[in-house]
Amino acid sequence: MHIPDGYLSPIFSLGAGVVTVPIWGLAGRRVQAVLNNRTVPLLSIFAALSFTIMMFNIPVPGGTTAHGVGGTLIAIVLGPWAAVIGVSLALILQALFFGDGGILAIFANCLNMGIILPFVGYLTYRLIAGRAPLLSSRRVWAAGIGAYAGITVSALAVGLELGLQPILFQDAAGHPLYSPYGFGAALPAMLLAHVFGASIVEAIITALGVAYLQKQHPEYLSGMRVAAGADIAEGQAVGRPIGQVIAGVAIAGVVVLALAGLITGGGDVGHLFGADWSQVNWADVATMLLIVAVIAVVLIPLARFLLPQRLKGIGTAFTAIAVLAPLGLIAPGFAYGEGSAADVKQAFGYVPKGLQDLSSVFSAPLAGYNLPLPFFSGANATLWQTAIGYEISGIIGILALALATLGLARLLRRPGTDSTGTSTV
Amino acid sequence: MSTHAHSTAAEGHIGWFEHTVAGIAGSIERAVFTEEHARKPGWLQGVDPRAKMGMFVVLVLAAGLANSLLVLALLYAAILAAARASRVPFDFFVRRVWVGIPFFAGVVIIPSIFFATGPRLFDLTLGPLHIAPAIAGLLGAVVFVARVGVSVSLAVLLVLTTQWADVLKSLQALRVPQIFILLLSMTYRYIFLFLHAMNSLFEARKSRMVGRTDGAEHRRWITGSMMSLLNRSFKMSNDVYSAMMARGFTGRIHTYQTYRMTPPDWLAVALALGLAVGAGLLGRVIA
Repeated sequence: MHIPDGYLSPIFSLGAGVVTVPIWGLAGRRVQAVLNNRTVPLLSIFAALSFTIMMFNIPVPGGTTAHGVGGTLIAIVLGPWAAVIGVSLALILQALFFGDGGILAIFANCLNMGIILPFVGYLTYRLIAGRAPLLSSRRVWAAGIGAYAGITVSALAVGLELGLQPILFQDAAGHPLYSPYGFGAALPAMLLAHVFGASIVEAIITALGVAYLQKQHPEYLSGMRVAAGADIAEGQAVGRPIGQVIAGVAIAGVVVLALAGLITGGGDVGHLFGADWSQVNWADVATMLLIVAVIAVVLIPLARFLLPQRLKGIGTAFTAIAVLAPLGLIAPGFAYGEGSAADVKQAFGYVPKGLQDLSSVFSAPLAGYNLPLPFFSGANATLWQTAIGYEISGIIGILALALATLGLARLLRRPGTDSTGTSTV
Repeated sequence: MSTHAHSTAAEGHIGWFEHTVAGIAGSIERAVFTEEHARKPGWLQGVDPRAKMGMFVVLVLAAGLANSLLVLALLYAAILAAARASRVPFDFFVRRVWVGIPFFAGVVIIPSIFFATGPRLFDLTLGPLHIAPAIAGLLGAVVFVARVGVSVSLAVLLVLTTQWADVLKSLQALRVPQIFILLLSMTYRYIFLFLHAMNSLFEARKSRMVGRTDGAEHRRWITGSMMSLLNRSFKMSNDVYSAMMARGFTGRIHTYQTYRMTPPDWLAVALALGLAVGAGLLGRVIA
């Protein structure tokens, strides 16, 4: 999520300082007033921890990078003002020693990750934790959800800042001077990479961190606020049966999916996820489900039985994905994110020029993820025939990918070692 | 024989993580912690750290405002000359900057080449493939990557030629509150301790392990070592606090400030300012 120099206009980068510098000043005063000397080494340790977490990042095309931050964890333990300082310090050190994040962009980066993130994370945490006892598992959940919200809003801020650049700063010919992606590209790039990736990592890190502190160092969870004169009930950790947890997560997942479906479907139950469900021939679907179930019952245990020990887990998982993939065929219109350029045009009314150029790159021999045989993809093929075509092409794809990877690994393997791990030299 | 057996044992599931940590720790230690280049008798090493900070800010601004490839190339040439005068090894400096940048800035910018409007550089049709980068998009991407590269080069040069203590003192000259400087210097130390501790945990395990283990064991070990690392850090934080109190720490830090700006320092600042203004003017002429 670090914005390097050159992505933002210098005016914009320094402009962010108008917000960041006063907040730093305020945070410095707050931290000095509320916390005692004891927290100086502790805050340094957390800043170093945040620095280490942020080193593991991956680039996001159209945006910047995705990684965990740890800001919400610092905010929960030391308070949001200390988190502002801790994360900002880690960011400054990264900019100075690794060129990770720009130096002019330091104000913008500290605003996103050092100010927005811990405050959103901490406020969400407080909202969910409420007056729950210090050692309750509710606080662990609150920490995870708070961290998820904090880093996601922070990624949203990065997307907004990048998306503003081509609108605000163009040369005479109208070409963007800095980051060239508008809101349409920068926002989804940053949000998707976080919502389905980095935010989950951040939530897990934070929840595990709080659970660990509850178990081993409860004094760190209460110490700061007791020092500030607050009275907090400690309580006891209550273990929840794993079945209840799974059921809770499943119910939450269904609720979130239903809400997302309603929103994308414009509030019409018949059009969940924007698809016209009345077009579905449910008798065909039932036949297909039955056939898919039979194939799954045969193929998945077979894969598990046949595959060598080292590939058992991953191989079975991939087989299961390939076998279950045709479930997406039920949805009329286009399933998942697999829509072709024509589908996109139908849905949105226009096709971005770049997508049109790029999309032909992906037209593979097994176009439409199906076999080019009349039995599987002909005009008269029933749903279950199409489904089997889908599965076969999926398995062929996975096998081809596995073979390619294996070949590449063979080529890259250093001479003198073989796969059993013994040396031949 | 033994090295081979070791390296194959390391190729487990966590191999990449271990290598990353060891690589980061090693490279920081070599380049920054030993302050190898900052102690050499070069040009920038002799310049007052406050002057260097000023030069740096002016030049990063000039690079940020530059929109022509020529201006950026000239700025980079000036940076290379300064690196030479400061006895920073050429290939190390160039490699350190340009190995990472194409990976991060490059991956981010590549889609824009195809999304831009206007004439195409070529229109390659390879069977179903259809590759047509736009000229404007390509040029924009090159300027973008060059600008990021020049900015990062400036930062790397500043860090390589300045001792950490001097960076802290020049921050003090910029009226940064003391609490920040104190925390910054302690965080800096802890980062090395963290990386060292992580590295030795990996090494200790590696030297006691024969053959492969399964994923569950790896996960258990990683969680266990993370917890032990946290435990040790908290203990260390208490020890450091006790040590600070025992030495009479009252929450205020005092440093000697013996810097004075000399004529060569002013000359260096003037040079940087001239370069920045020249780059700005040249950019305007080209436009």
